[in-house]
Amino acid sequence: MTDSRAASGGLRAASVAEQLDAAVSQLLAGGRISGPLEPELRPLVRAARLLARALAPVPVAPRFEARVGARLADTAERPLARRVRGLGELTREIRHPGRLIAAGAVSSAAVGVGVTALAVWRGGRRGARRRR
Amino acid sequence: MSDRPARRLDAPADVPDDAASADPDLPAVRAAQRDPAAFATIYRRYLDRVYSYSFYALGDHHDAEDATERSFLAALAGIGRFRDEGSSFRAWLFRIAHNTVANAHRSRARRPTAPLEAAGERGAADGDPATLVARAEELRAVVAALDELPEERRQVILLRFVDGLTAAEIGPILGRSPGAVRVLLHRALREVAARLDADEA
Repeated sequence: MTDSRAASGGLRAASVAEQLDAAVSQLLAGGRISGPLEPELRPLVRAARLLARALAPVPVAPRFEARVGARLADTAERPLARRVRGLGELTREIRHPGRLIAAGAVSSAAVGVGVTALAVWRGGRRGARRRR
Repeated sequence: MSDRPARRLDAPADVPDDAASADPDLPAVRAAQRDPAAFATIYRRYLDRVYSYSFYALGDHHDAEDATERSFLAALAGIGRFRDEGSSFRAWLFRIAHNTVANAHRSRARRPTAPLEAAGERGAADGDPATLVARAEELRAVVAALDELPEERRQVILLRFVDGLTAAEIGPILGRSPGAVRVLLHRALREVAARLDADEA
């Protein structure tokens, strides 16, 4: 009995918090508050309205905006940043082991073919010398 | 965290993905991941909001500028690591801003007071003098009440009202579930309303 009362109290608190959150979303979107709203939430919505007005965006100084913009552009273009990007691409390649295995297999096969060709060529030359 | 497997941002556009279509920042983020110079779009889009958040959290224009610059530099350095894993890009960006502000708080170890001035300045923009004075007083009272809140509740208010983040986006920033964020918001607003009532009385 006590547990069920506590559970229903918890559910009600969650529902009230959801109602308030929905009202705040409507408020921040600049629309009218519609839908169910518990009477106890009215002063909270008033506080939310005042907070939305008080916490309006603060204008950024144009000089600051330009300075940080230039610094970001400089960082983005720096050779080191490009190298780090290259490293990122390399690690991305490593994240695809299939490609790595295929590249490894192809290069191993190429080395094998090369060594075999060299051995055949040298064997052929030795045989020719012996025949002479 | 989402159970959905991580997907790289530069995955083909024809891969269906609800979250990708829901996050309007993803095209700009993908462009910045390919070419860091394209980060300028993100910077212009979020400068005001990151700056406002830093200002209200730190209470000082100089500190806010410093925190904003650090936040964007950190975001640029880490943009290649951003993954669309159910959390929006702006939530990721504000997590960086939140951590930068927290570091600034730790380094100076004092509480801000300046938002009161800012509220007064905005209240005095237009209208008749009596209304302006009343509005400025009201806004001062609201921000003073905000400054009295415990830090976590204050952060919820700032992220919700200054940056317009949803409870689901604030959750990962504060390490809470969306439901817990809604409860924190409810408590914070109840506290602000009670302080305003006490002021009026």
